[in-house]
Amino acid sequence: MATRNRTPLYRKYRDALRNVRVPSHSSSGGGGGAGPVIELVSTSLLHSNRSYAPLSTDDPGSSSNGAHTMGLSPAWVDISEEISANMQRVRTKMSELAKAHGKALMPSFGDGKEDQHLIEALTHEITDLLKRSEKKLQRLAASGPSEDSNVRKNVQRSLATDLQNLSMELRKKQSAYLKRLRQQKEGQDGVDLEMNLNGSRSDVEDDEFSDLSFNEHQMSKLKKSEAFTREREREIQQVVESVNELAQIMKDLSILVIDQGTIVDRIDYNIQNVTASVEEGFKQLQKLFILPAGRENTEERGDGEVCYDPHHHVFYHAGSSYSEGDILVIKSDGNSVYYGLDASSVTAIPIQS
Amino acid sequence: MVLISSARDYVGRMLQDISGMKVLVVDSQTVSIVSVVYSQSELLQKEVFLVELVDSMSKESMAHLKAVYFLRPTSENIQHLRRHLASPRFGEYHLFFSNILKTTQIQVLADSDEQEVVKQVQEFYADFVAIDPCHFTLNMPLNHIYMLPAVVDPPSSQNFCDRAVDGIAAVFLALKRRPVIRYQRTSDIAKRIAQEASKLMYEQESGLFDFRRTEISPLLLIIDRRDDPVTPLLNQWTYQAMVHELLGIEDNKVNLRSIGKISEDHQEVVLSSEQDAFFKANMYENFGDLGMNIKQMVDEFQQIAKSNQNIQTIEDMAKFVDNYPEYRRMQGNVSKHVTMVTEMSKIVEERKLMLVSQTEQELACNGGQVAAFEAVINLLNNESISDVDRLRLVMLYALRYEKESSVQLMQLFNKLSSLSAKYKPGLVQFLLKQAGVDKRTGDLFGNRDLLNIARNMARGLKGVENVYTQHQPLLFQTMESITKGRLRDLDYPFVGNHFQQGRPQEVVIFIIGGTTYEEARVVTLQNATNSGTRFILGGSVVLNSKRFLKDLEEAQRIARASSAV
Repeated sequence: MATRNRTPLYRKYRDALRNVRVPSHSSSGGGGGAGPVIELVSTSLLHSNRSYAPLSTDDPGSSSNGAHTMGLSPAWVDISEEISANMQRVRTKMSELAKAHGKALMPSFGDGKEDQHLIEALTHEITDLLKRSEKKLQRLAASGPSEDSNVRKNVQRSLATDLQNLSMELRKKQSAYLKRLRQQKEGQDGVDLEMNLNGSRSDVEDDEFSDLSFNEHQMSKLKKSEAFTREREREIQQVVESVNELAQIMKDLSILVIDQGTIVDRIDYNIQNVTASVEEGFKQLQKLFILPAGRENTEERGDGEVCYDPHHHVFYHAGSSYSEGDILVIKSDGNSVYYGLDASSVTAIPIQS
Repeated sequence: MVLISSARDYVGRMLQDISGMKVLVVDSQTVSIVSVVYSQSELLQKEVFLVELVDSMSKESMAHLKAVYFLRPTSENIQHLRRHLASPRFGEYHLFFSNILKTTQIQVLADSDEQEVVKQVQEFYADFVAIDPCHFTLNMPLNHIYMLPAVVDPPSSQNFCDRAVDGIAAVFLALKRRPVIRYQRTSDIAKRIAQEASKLMYEQESGLFDFRRTEISPLLLIIDRRDDPVTPLLNQWTYQAMVHELLGIEDNKVNLRSIGKISEDHQEVVLSSEQDAFFKANMYENFGDLGMNIKQMVDEFQQIAKSNQNIQTIEDMAKFVDNYPEYRRMQGNVSKHVTMVTEMSKIVEERKLMLVSQTEQELACNGGQVAAFEAVINLLNNESISDVDRLRLVMLYALRYEKESSVQLMQLFNKLSSLSAKYKPGLVQFLLKQAGVDKRTGDLFGNRDLLNIARNMARGLKGVENVYTQHQPLLFQTMESITKGRLRDLDYPFVGNHFQQGRPQEVVIFIIGGTTYEEARVVTLQNATNSGTRFILGGSVVLNSKRFLKDLEEAQRIARASSAV
């Protein structure tokens, strides 16, 4: 993998030519200013963003508009930076959440509530950040076939990919947590057994003194365990809800994210098609938000159409020739999660096991 | 192996040290070079948010972007760059060229860079389209030029040679090697390209090519397509070769728009051994085995699809949603391969290719002139055989029995011209003139010396596994000779006084006029035997029969026109 750097030679020629060029410039009416300006440029190579802004005075012919905006990033760059910043915060919060999950799963009775509140708050915050980022992402969309809008669309795609990965990661964490929680719940009899064993052993040691308190102790344990179960159920419910919300975000993003290994992921294809394909994606995304809430799910739908209402979340409804089994309807109330591959065959899964 | 990974590394290194938002500017050639080794999502990861062709007329100023140019050092590109540098649209300019720059070109660029926006000028030698790990092409647009004598069109001929030398030089610069060079004696253009490559590597840029010496120098062998005109004329039955023959592959993409009713996702599909595990596993399989493997893949997919419908618990559901992108990807891949194989089966049926191919293989591999003549006549009379298949059969017969049976040959020519007015039999004669036995170096039909005849007979006695894939391209023998150190100096002379000592460990074989996927397959299989010699195959284009015949016709047209003058 040989390479050859021709920059030194290039610089040598350029420097040599600069000396020739300066007088020709001053004679063309640019004034003595041209020389110093170029000097200034060559010394500020590091701050290249602004390096040639002053030069614009050199040729007022090339649209003074451009001269003012040159070197300054367009406004949408701020949005993309905000999203990146948001995602950075999500990453930090996510590691906090992982810690909180771990702690909550440890067998402790006293302040389990605190952990749960923390988890709730964190989950909420993360989901919220993701949601907001996703909303912001839409603002990046531009219309018109300009090159700038191509850039924006690509920035958007790139951010959408990151965002999707983050959402995926969060969902994996939550799924794992949910699973562990449910395992704990199922294994509770076992835990109780062990507690009883412990308790009875201590009884033997403590003798008959604490006959009454023993019962009270048991009672309070029982109560606590009931409360514990209720609490866990609530948690599970919460996680399920959040999973749903995330699924929604991911579905929205999946329109933007590039499927790897497909023609869409080819560079040559994108040179020709970047405008067309992303605009199509956007139309779909907009359709999604324009659709009136509460529209019934039983209606016939075409490929790629997405329905959304407060009770039903359609996870994926990708347009393709093999669309059987492509649609997943999710609804959850307090007791059950309903799912179905289309609206007519919804099955309920009770949350309690 | 080396080719794809070095091209990828070149692209990666261009982008990695330039922070912030970038635009990649390519030309019509480098876009292929980059596209076959790098993906759009990988570009996005490197913060390249716009890819633009160097000749695009856009005037939009985007000073917040840094421009990374990756261009071939052609004079047109230098002119484009002059224009771009005179009124810069981007914040910074990083110029990467895929080959050696002339000093004058650097001067021109420096002269146009009045505002000093260029930050670096580099030569990154990714000047070849690395379609497979051991197979590259140069995608040369005027490929037919190689068949014409240099005097017919000297500038085009020079351009052709220059591009070939550039591509070959770049491969060796990417490998960091300087080879000894051999060429096929009977080909003028092979000799010319070999000599120009040698001049570049040992004289003009000897410093650049002065790498740490390996004990045994690698070998560059330059041969002419016309030494084996049979391989590009045959119907193919292994997956990759067959797709190229029947549907056409271009830069690892297949255009399926002609098929008719087809879902939007599959109008154009990617066929890359790097990104598609199923394709990688089956690209060299024959059509029969491929069908079984596709069926197995469909079954597996249906299993997964079924288990996805059988969602019992929240975990199942969560798992389904998590795995959905993977599921969808798999679905896309399954339907891609099914679509292509279905379409190819249809063509095979329509054109009766099984029948045609059997005779083709007989002509290419076995003796038996009388039987062969009868078979060809029968097929010419068969209504369902397409014109192009008839032409190819006559060509194969003519190449095989050029000297033995001029009477029968005339009969076939007459038959052919009576059947289709479109195909002038003159094309077969032109082929013989181009690639007849007097022009060839290698023993194409294995009937020249006693050893080859004996070997052929032994193979005949052993019997063949599959009549449709019994043909071995001449390249196979050539590689065998190289690994055994038996490639004759007389037939494949060395350039200059750089000779080979011992068996080479690395060999680049460049076929002027184009490679075929059948040959690429043989090279890959040869490399898999770990004989101690690794081969890389490259050519001016990747041929299928359609392209080979088109080049032949084009050359014939020009040859006629120039002789008429």
